[in-house]
Amino acid sequence: MAGMTVDKDKCVGCGLCASTCPQNAISLAGGKAAISEECVACGLCLDACRLGAIRRESGQRQQGLEQYRGILVFAEQHQGHLEDVTLELLCKAKELQRDLDCKICAVVPGRQGSHLAQTLIGHGADTVYVCPAEELDEPLEQQAADLVEQAIRRFQPEIVLFGATELGRSLAPRVAARLHTGLTADCTVLEIDREKRLLQQTRPAFGGNLMATIVCPDHRPQMATVRPGVFAKGEPEARQGEVEALPAPACQPAIQLVANQIAQRSAGIADAPVIVAVGKGIGSQKNIQYAQQLADRLGGQVGASRPLVDAGWAQYSMQVGQTGHTVAPKLYIACGISGAIQHLAGMAGAQTVVAINTDPDAPIFRVAHYAVVGDCVEVLKQLLAQLPEAPVPGGNI
Amino acid sequence: MKIIVCIKQVPSTNEVKLDPETKTIIRDGRQSVINPFDTYAMEEAVRLKEKLGGTVCALSMGIPAVERLLREAMSRGVDSALLLSDRAFAGADTLATAYTLSLGVRHLGDFDLILCGRMAIDGDTAQIGPELAEDLGIPQVTNVTAILEARKGELLCAKATDQGTQQVRVKLPALLTVAKDINMPRMASIRGVKQSLQAPLEVLSAADVQADPQRIGLKGSPTQVVRTFTPEKTVECVWLEGDTAQQAGQLAKVLLEKTQRGEDAAWQA
Amino acid sequence: MEQNLIRPMTAEYEEYLRDESRSVGHGESISFPKSTQQIQAVLKQLQASGTPVTLQGSRTGLTAAAVPDGGHVMNLSRMDRVLGCRQDDQGAFYLTVQPGVLLAELRKKIRNKNFDTTGWDEASLRAYTAFCRAPEQFFTPDPTETSASLGGMVNCNASGARSLYYGSVRPYVSRLKMVLADGDTLTIRRGEHFAKERQGALRTDSGRLIQIPLPTYQMPHTKNASGYYAADDMDLIDLFIGADGTLGVTAEIEIRLVPLPPIVWGVTAFFDREEKALRYVRLIRGEVLEEGQQPFVLRPVSAEFFNGDALEILRRQKRENSAFAQIHDIPARYQAAIYVELHGEQEEEVLARLLELGRAITMAGGDEGDTWVARDQSDLDRLMFFRHAIPECVNMLIDKRKQKDKTITKLGTDMAVPDSQLEEVMALYNRMLQEQGLESAIWGHIGNNHLHVNILPNDGEEYKKGQQLYRQWAAYVTEKGGAVSAEHGVGKLKAGFLLVMYGPEHIRQMRRLKLAFDPECRLNRGNLFAAEEEAK
Repeated sequence: MAGMTVDKDKCVGCGLCASTCPQNAISLAGGKAAISEECVACGLCLDACRLGAIRRESGQRQQGLEQYRGILVFAEQHQGHLEDVTLELLCKAKELQRDLDCKICAVVPGRQGSHLAQTLIGHGADTVYVCPAEELDEPLEQQAADLVEQAIRRFQPEIVLFGATELGRSLAPRVAARLHTGLTADCTVLEIDREKRLLQQTRPAFGGNLMATIVCPDHRPQMATVRPGVFAKGEPEARQGEVEALPAPACQPAIQLVANQIAQRSAGIADAPVIVAVGKGIGSQKNIQYAQQLADRLGGQVGASRPLVDAGWAQYSMQVGQTGHTVAPKLYIACGISGAIQHLAGMAGAQTVVAINTDPDAPIFRVAHYAVVGDCVEVLKQLLAQLPEAPVPGGNI
Repeated sequence: MKIIVCIKQVPSTNEVKLDPETKTIIRDGRQSVINPFDTYAMEEAVRLKEKLGGTVCALSMGIPAVERLLREAMSRGVDSALLLSDRAFAGADTLATAYTLSLGVRHLGDFDLILCGRMAIDGDTAQIGPELAEDLGIPQVTNVTAILEARKGELLCAKATDQGTQQVRVKLPALLTVAKDINMPRMASIRGVKQSLQAPLEVLSAADVQADPQRIGLKGSPTQVVRTFTPEKTVECVWLEGDTAQQAGQLAKVLLEKTQRGEDAAWQA
Repeated sequence: MEQNLIRPMTAEYEEYLRDESRSVGHGESISFPKSTQQIQAVLKQLQASGTPVTLQGSRTGLTAAAVPDGGHVMNLSRMDRVLGCRQDDQGAFYLTVQPGVLLAELRKKIRNKNFDTTGWDEASLRAYTAFCRAPEQFFTPDPTETSASLGGMVNCNASGARSLYYGSVRPYVSRLKMVLADGDTLTIRRGEHFAKERQGALRTDSGRLIQIPLPTYQMPHTKNASGYYAADDMDLIDLFIGADGTLGVTAEIEIRLVPLPPIVWGVTAFFDREEKALRYVRLIRGEVLEEGQQPFVLRPVSAEFFNGDALEILRRQKRENSAFAQIHDIPARYQAAIYVELHGEQEEEVLARLLELGRAITMAGGDEGDTWVARDQSDLDRLMFFRHAIPECVNMLIDKRKQKDKTITKLGTDMAVPDSQLEEVMALYNRMLQEQGLESAIWGHIGNNHLHVNILPNDGEEYKKGQQLYRQWAAYVTEKGGAVSAEHGVGKLKAGFLLVMYGPEHIRQMRRLKLAFDPECRLNRGNLFAAEEEAK
């Protein structure tokens, strides 16, 4: 296929590439590897071939790449509050800056921008581009894209970073397409290849079963989005920076924002980010209050195993499991649940599982990341005593 | 209303199987499927057509075997299909794919609406929709959870944001990417399968759509994969030791950490 | 160590006193062995006191076979490892599993070719490498309840929808390791030990010879899971499959896999009248209904039925319960449905059969548009969810009613009749249910004329009426040459029906067979043999 080519002189037909190809796109024809159009240019065969017989074709290199210097961060704000991910990106930018010896800029839309500029500077921005236009207070992609494009043309950064928020994931590709450059979504690792002065962007692929490192060698800027919470948020420093205003975008909006509702946290377990689930080990119905208190502190909901619902201690709407709700919270705390397979099936999507049970052999421990062998009621009481009273700040998990 | 639905073929599973001896990936003979998110876009398109009249055309870029999936789409109410298939398209990243699809859209002529799935389950990038909208110079609304009003030249949509929901009014032509909860895609029927065997399906090459060779396939892709590896998954269980108070103390730390920052979120989400 | 394998039956183990049949028992102690040695240890320890032992897998059975009636509960759910892999000369793959392995987990492992091979021997690892490189394999039995354990499936000779084509669990069990009541073990491979007419003998691993007198009855020529398998010159491994755990503890099971066909499609066809659905079943079985009609050649892997009441229950649950929201709308005119699965090697060939299926629907009086076609895994999963939702909904209704009246429990049949009796038995069910004014739902494996009639009693009165009907149906089905239990096994709830089916003399023969393995009658007391019979 176009793209990956086999050097017939170097290929000895060992078949290593063929056995590596996840697309089954390489066959051995006449003792040489042949790549079919099933190929998606994933590059696995490049690594597999010990003879360097497979090469990747590349396109034209953009002119004047070396004029691009520095890192631009898109600062996302809503109602005058910066998204945490913006500060996380600035912190990462400072790290990259050490390898690149360059400036960091941020661009922030909306009339609150000037207020936020100092925070951005404190977290590492040397220049903050603001655009105090009313229509950018709650920016829609087209106008925001115009603004970011202006900032890029002015600053000529080699790297542009966005939070992989709903807005960031929608805005960044729009900008990338406009500038004809590459964009890597949802990066979990960003590093600099100092020799080539390239941003190495590592992201999960195949639903997290494979990690891929991606570069954008011939186009600038190199653009990436990063999920909130992946990088640490740095401490602000007292430092100086510049604030520069950019003109409001001229484009005629084809989209009009009619209503903007800030959602209330839904009351059910289906979408709850934290679930404190209770099973028969809770001992009695009145002990469920401790689970409820813990859930309240963590900004979550109480779930229940089937035996508890069968016993009438909990509502069906709280039941987790094959016959109840299938849940995928960030945090699942199983209290006194042995972990029948039907239950495990219902919470298999949970990211972090904490299990508290008296029986160290209980099946729930096999899926747990944190295990506490003990009476869940006692552990809950102690836990409530040791956790801060107030709800976890923000609860933004 | 003339509606175009973009469809991607994806592997039917994300599971990666490794050979126990060589530790290389085992090829999976299983068939590809329509990206599940695209099936919601397809269903929404067909519902709009059923309500307002018009046509739905499925558009895809891929290998000739994608024809099978386009027939599948046509067994569920899609009227016609266009497949852009050429060896020169292979290896495209999102930028080159969006450009190629924009050529397909132009080939199809005037349109009112383009619907895409929110993302593809194999790449998870969610980039094609916005990049295609930019290439076509039309507005986009992403993560649409409902089309509240549809009339000539305008839609009122609800979209999910990180903070809640928004209602936006968008002038047509426009591109929407739809969320999973927008509808429940219908099943095909045997009658639908029969109809799909007769429905028009066009296959065009790069030359047919006058593609710029520098903007398609690997050559037109600014991004390159330089390395892939299987991540070390740590499913190790941490057993919290000590008396109840000590256990609770350690657990409190874990809970605070997990609820404030989602390090693990990165690649499971 | 052995001492604390046996734990007192405290409140936290309450759930182990019941199973999916919704009946609740009582017991004094419980154990969760993790190995054959631990099973032996527990049995030996309990032998002195003559304590009866009730065996459990994942407690998804519908006949209360796992519900204890006093004594000890041995729960095998923690014996959930796959122990090895083998490939025979013909290239077929076999897996050795412990009884607590769950069907859903096993399927997932097979599909993803991802087993924990810790502790496997060299030969197993070699076979496993070949397995990973081979085309995808599958284990064909597919009971609707995928959280069933393999041990449970062997003990009730489970089958499921695909048994129409592939058969039940029985032919896929190639080796068993049983622990007998006294702790002795017995290993038996298919094809090695046969009976002479109705007399068999097996040697235990410790060298003891057990003489086995086989019952003399003729088993029905239908799908069957009613009592001991008995036939002239039978392979003695078959004795332990479908024995309801009354002969020994299934400690190791070797199962045979088959290559998964590349094409697996499913079609649910809806009809406005039940007669049309039954006509459709006859057509897809290849029967000729009209003069000059060419028989259809469709090779259905399964044919599953849902009657109008079952569909109505689904409609209601979908409205009332968000857990069922993902089910598609079922138009009111749909009054019966048949799900058919087609397997094949080539897409064109299966497509041709799909279109033929459409023709059969039209010929039966239905409409090709009233069908749901699944041609990929996610759509197949939806049709499976639909199938599974019906018993789930019925169970939930029963649970609700049970809160008002403790005496009622689920009433579900599992009877099969020969092909010629399909219409008659359906008419009988419908007529008698209507006469008694009972709420019900009927679904099941209609390809084998094997239907689950489920009565939904509102109170104790109706429950008794329902039980009465069941006894009448058992007699009817027996008379027509059918089986009172086709796949669920007999357990405790259907022991009475077994007596109707085989008569007292044959039951006595079954008892003699049991005593040959379990002279003190300690294992799964109450299963197969009704309480009055037990006393004798």
